[in-house]
Amino acid sequence: MSLAEDKLIEVNEADFVDTGAAIEKWRHFPYSAILHHGRLCCRIAREWIFSHDYTQLNGEHPLTGPRWIRQKWTWGPSSWPISWCEAVERKTLDCGALAAISQEVYTARGVTNYPAQFIQQYSEDSVLHWQKKWNGEEVSTHWINEDLIYHEGCAVVTRDAEIKLWDASAGWWVNPKQFGGYGGLLALRISAPQSVSGAFEWGTHRIAPNQWQKIERARNDFAHPSANAHSRAAAHD
Amino acid sequence: MKIYISGLYSGTNPQPGIGVARSLRAAYPEANLVGVEYSNRCSGIHWQDFDELWLQRPWEELNLDAYAEGIKEVLDGGALWISGVDLEIMWLASVFPEGHKNLLTPPASALRQISKPAVEASQSLPLRIPTYISTERSDWELHAFCRQHGWKVWLKGPYYEAVRTYSWDMFERVRTALSRAWSTEKLFLQTHVTGYEESVCFSAYKGELTGCVYMRKRELTEEGKTWAGDVTEAPEEFVAPLRKVVRELNWTGGAELEMVRDTGGQLWLLECNPRFPAWIYGSTIAGRNLPALMVERATGVPAKTAETPCEEFTRIVLEVPVRPQFPLPSLPEPFPGAIGHSMKHPSGTLALAERLHKLHIIGEDGNGNGNSNGNGNGNGNGHHASAETVKTGAGVATVTVAAAPNAAPSVPPSFIADLDTYALQEMETPAWLFLESTAESLFKRAGELATQLTTSTVKVTNGYSIKTNPDERLIKLAKESGFLAEAISLLEVQKALKTGFKPEQVILNGPGKWWPEGLLPSSPIHAVFSDSIADLRRMAASLASKELQAKIVGVRLRTPGSRFGIPVDTPDALRALVEAIELLPRDSAFGVHFHMASSNIGVRQWWHLYESMLRWCRSVESLSGRRIECLDVGGGWFPDDWHTESSDQFAAAVQSARKFLPGVKEVISEPGKAMAQPSMALAMRLLEFEATGEGEINEAVVDGSIAELPMHFFQPHRILHRDERTQEWRALRRGKTQLLGRLCMEHDIVATNVELPKGAQVGDVLVFCDAGAYDRSMSYVFGRG
Repeated sequence: MSLAEDKLIEVNEADFVDTGAAIEKWRHFPYSAILHHGRLCCRIAREWIFSHDYTQLNGEHPLTGPRWIRQKWTWGPSSWPISWCEAVERKTLDCGALAAISQEVYTARGVTNYPAQFIQQYSEDSVLHWQKKWNGEEVSTHWINEDLIYHEGCAVVTRDAEIKLWDASAGWWVNPKQFGGYGGLLALRISAPQSVSGAFEWGTHRIAPNQWQKIERARNDFAHPSANAHSRAAAHD
Repeated sequence: MKIYISGLYSGTNPQPGIGVARSLRAAYPEANLVGVEYSNRCSGIHWQDFDELWLQRPWEELNLDAYAEGIKEVLDGGALWISGVDLEIMWLASVFPEGHKNLLTPPASALRQISKPAVEASQSLPLRIPTYISTERSDWELHAFCRQHGWKVWLKGPYYEAVRTYSWDMFERVRTALSRAWSTEKLFLQTHVTGYEESVCFSAYKGELTGCVYMRKRELTEEGKTWAGDVTEAPEEFVAPLRKVVRELNWTGGAELEMVRDTGGQLWLLECNPRFPAWIYGSTIAGRNLPALMVERATGVPAKTAETPCEEFTRIVLEVPVRPQFPLPSLPEPFPGAIGHSMKHPSGTLALAERLHKLHIIGEDGNGNGNSNGNGNGNGNGHHASAETVKTGAGVATVTVAAAPNAAPSVPPSFIADLDTYALQEMETPAWLFLESTAESLFKRAGELATQLTTSTVKVTNGYSIKTNPDERLIKLAKESGFLAEAISLLEVQKALKTGFKPEQVILNGPGKWWPEGLLPSSPIHAVFSDSIADLRRMAASLASKELQAKIVGVRLRTPGSRFGIPVDTPDALRALVEAIELLPRDSAFGVHFHMASSNIGVRQWWHLYESMLRWCRSVESLSGRRIECLDVGGGWFPDDWHTESSDQFAAAVQSARKFLPGVKEVISEPGKAMAQPSMALAMRLLEFEATGEGEINEAVVDGSIAELPMHFFQPHRILHRDERTQEWRALRRGKTQLLGRLCMEHDIVATNVELPKGAQVGDVLVFCDAGAYDRSMSYVFGRG
């Protein structure tokens, strides 16, 4: 909110965010992929991940988010490139590696999924902290741009074109109802093969594949001043 | 406008009164809001939005008739009443059977339709009800229900409270506590649904829906209560049928449908509360003031609307000043040595439940005493399916449980036939009874099943776990039925050999398999599985020196939560296993064994574990380059589960093994206690009992004890008593008697909540069935001098 001409006016904070510049910065940034040495070391690592995932699934639905990934690895700086055998030995992995593992896990479960890249808004304090931490590990901070960050996840197809976004670093599904603000998702890119022609449906958003797309801010369902008087419940009586 | 609002408790599991008051204050700044409470310990009475307080004595002290009269006067005087207490709502429905225009609570007929767990009124809504079973069923059936659902079950009270019960002894403890608290045996067990909690909250007046919202819990307390959430429009596909339901029920008041959405998107109804939820002000924050919409419709007085709605709400903790006219009461003295002050339910809610039960206002119908209801079974059009099928009968049949409450467990006819061969009255007790024909039929069936499952490529064999019950009669039956003998020590190997098994029919397993030294057979045994990497090295050395010879050598893989077998829970552990397998000689076939008791983890979980272990086996095979030719699958099957599991399921399991491991030539199944448990019973005598003044027998002493029934804490036993007049055997029903063992030990209670048959006398024999497995093999000598 801000004061202008003695009148309180509503301002969407997200309007001040230069999402376009951030998209430009990460326009050609590829999603993360983990290397395979082509030897037993990486085979063991991958076999372990897939068998362990199935055990952890505990008989639940294959769409269930693989929370165990975030239990095994702390989110933090990791140096790239990284191979499967190195990844399983590390205690800390960044969002790209965690997302890549979750993609492989969903694929092993037989669930269609695609790499998802996010641009999120945080705060200057947060990014300052992250910058120091990543610099301390001598790892690139290319993913930070003022108070915006580049992040990775996994777009999981739930039905037809419908998707959910799994944030492997957080161990949760990204809320499709986005209001901006701290942690808010400003832009999204889902990488899919050329054979995927139509748009994905994420909540009420339609997401075209293979291009950065700004995420529209949600409106409050009851925002209309006469919401009470024109409630859906009453309107149909 | 004067509005009475009750339910002001404001602890970690709050009532809605404060939220209702805040909502109404926002809509009607000039209204006179009167808080109604039954204890000055409820902090909500100090909330600033209340203009007045009508503080009553706790429910156990209240004169209900006088109170009813007082409320009638209030309502007749034009004030409105919004209740936030379920039991108060039920009581008010009985006080005002025809309703009252100013009483904003639902009528009795509507309450009956929403009573849990069936929630009849929800049939047309797009949701299902998790499978449940009334605790009026026999313990045998309740245990079966828990196993079938992998012990992911909640024991729920008829009005409030739900406790996750992970094991049989926990279930028994919680059942006793809840039954005592709510003065009823009508509790129910309901399956857990994993997912996200959501609610639909609505308000209505005289059958007209006045408002409706949809809330997703975004933060929860440790008790699972809402701490934060987002509130949006309820989807039209929900609102349309809801509007119809509200009209049919002639609903007045607030209500909340508490649901869980599973990963597949299905909504499961947990319960329907006949009042606003405690988070109701969150809806008001979002711009939908449901209490105000209801009051507006009831009075015609327009409500003020919020101007800056926000869809998301959260709670904080606030300190507020205490009203001077209601100073804080003293804390009760802690009981000596106890922790805390024992202050639960200061309003006397439990006493109200007891009083309403005695007045027959609640508990007669629809409070958890309905038929079992299977609704998690994919029957497309709804959730009110046929009765839950509970597997009973120790391998004899799958029985659909009859609807009679407090039914005695069913007992296989072979038990009775076997018991009739004993002259029990002349027998010294406690005594073990071998149920010969029962045992024969179980082993015969298992042998036939193995033959039936054997294909041209895979031989299926049973293994008899000697430790389950080393009785020679059972070992011989196993031998005659084509079983292999599974031993966990060399003493057990020798026992198998003495009973007629040949070395090539013996499997050696477990961490102490080499004990005691010097008893290894000189000729090859069938299979041996190492329990650790160190054990594998020792095994490899023994094989190299020809001290040990085996057709199959292999490893036992550790299952989650087990201490046995070689772990694979880290990539390093998997690598170590793969490298160690290199040490095993190539001239023996390679095999993998895994074991997990299905009775502990549940049937569905067990089958998932089986699939999971097949994946691990495939990984091991692929990484080690050793083809797996033998798969040894252990068991711990509860008899009813193993014997009633369809042969199709086992056939599919064999096919699955072959799919994952194309080189498998032999599958060994170890049904464990599925064979032994039904094969023996324990007879014990009633030593003494005495009826109370009310004719109830609370305690009876028997000459058996937990020394003979060490599994009492893990499973129920069906108990039989023979009527001396008719010579008829009858299974004991659930009742109020505890059977106390002969030992002078506090925890020596061999059965709780049973009903001694009419006419039972001191000296009568009680037969505890289902005692042939670890009860028998782990029984110990105690208190015998």
